[in-house]
Amino acid sequence: MKLTPELLKKLVRASQKTLSEEIGCDDCFDQLHEFAELELSGKTPEKAMPLVQDHLNKCGECRQEYQALLDALRELNS
Amino acid sequence: MIVAMLNWFKRRKQTKKSYLSNEEWLELLASPADEKAVGELRKILVRGLKPALYKYVDRELDQFVEDTVQDSLVKILDKLDSFRGESRFTTWAMKVAVREGLSELRRKKWQDVSIDDLASAGIEDDDDSHPVQFAADNPGPDRTTHESMVLEKVMEIIENDLSDKQKMALNALMVEGISSTVVADQMGMKRNALYKLVHDARVKLKTKLASEGIDPDKLLEQLS
Ligand SMILES: [Zn+2]
Repeated sequence: MKLTPELLKKLVRASQKTLSEEIGCDDCFDQLHEFAELELSGKTPEKAMPLVQDHLNKCGECRQEYQALLDALRELNS
Repeated sequence: MIVAMLNWFKRRKQTKKSYLSNEEWLELLASPADEKAVGELRKILVRGLKPALYKYVDRELDQFVEDTVQDSLVKILDKLDSFRGESRFTTWAMKVAVREGLSELRRKKWQDVSIDDLASAGIEDDDDSHPVQFAADNPGPDRTTHESMVLEKVMEIIENDLSDKQKMALNALMVEGISSTVVADQMGMKRNALYKLVHDARVKLKTKLASEGIDPDKLLEQLS
């Protein structure tokens, strides 16, 4: 593992955003359908489910899945 | 079952759209699943997945979506019990299908990469045995002695306080940019466990910086 200044920055930034209470990918996935419907109905899921929002901010794969889910649901609702 | 089907057909006549309630879906899909209901769900998933995945699939989108839906249906029928009704049933089912499709695409994209090779390649390249190295070995004239000492300390924390597993994961994820689904596969863990592993590493670093009296903002400023 080569520590470039770039990586060091990433690590330090990530560590500073760390909360003692974070949910993992499983808990995020368990709530994602509810979160998506709240968003699509114009509500504020990030307020109702802040831990899911926090996980989506931090986890690229869950975020990608969430975006794709929204795309799919928009198609179904159209 | 029969009532659910009748309701469904009645509504289909009226609206052209199939609109099953969650209860009806669950009733129809419970084993042995009703063929027509499975077919209907298949259509819905195919329709949703195409716009959701097209930007990630370079060719034969239709075939990929069909295969994904087939695999997803098995999973959905298998874990119907875990649907607790917090959304429309089709939203929940779509979520399962989206994850199925994206996971498959990630595995395909990274199928030729082995994080073990990356790790050992790194070790061979390095002259000394330090698993962690600062790329710019000499700190440079623009860095004060104090700043250099702080950097040294941070590197020491990363080298000594993070486990080999954590370093391996951070390297694969943050340096190589490999998908965490794939990294988790190769490390023999679930993505959820990998997230926790990295989370613990972040907590460790945060706590250690604080206990060493290192101001992260100053550190970041110094690094930029
Ligand atoms: Zn995640």
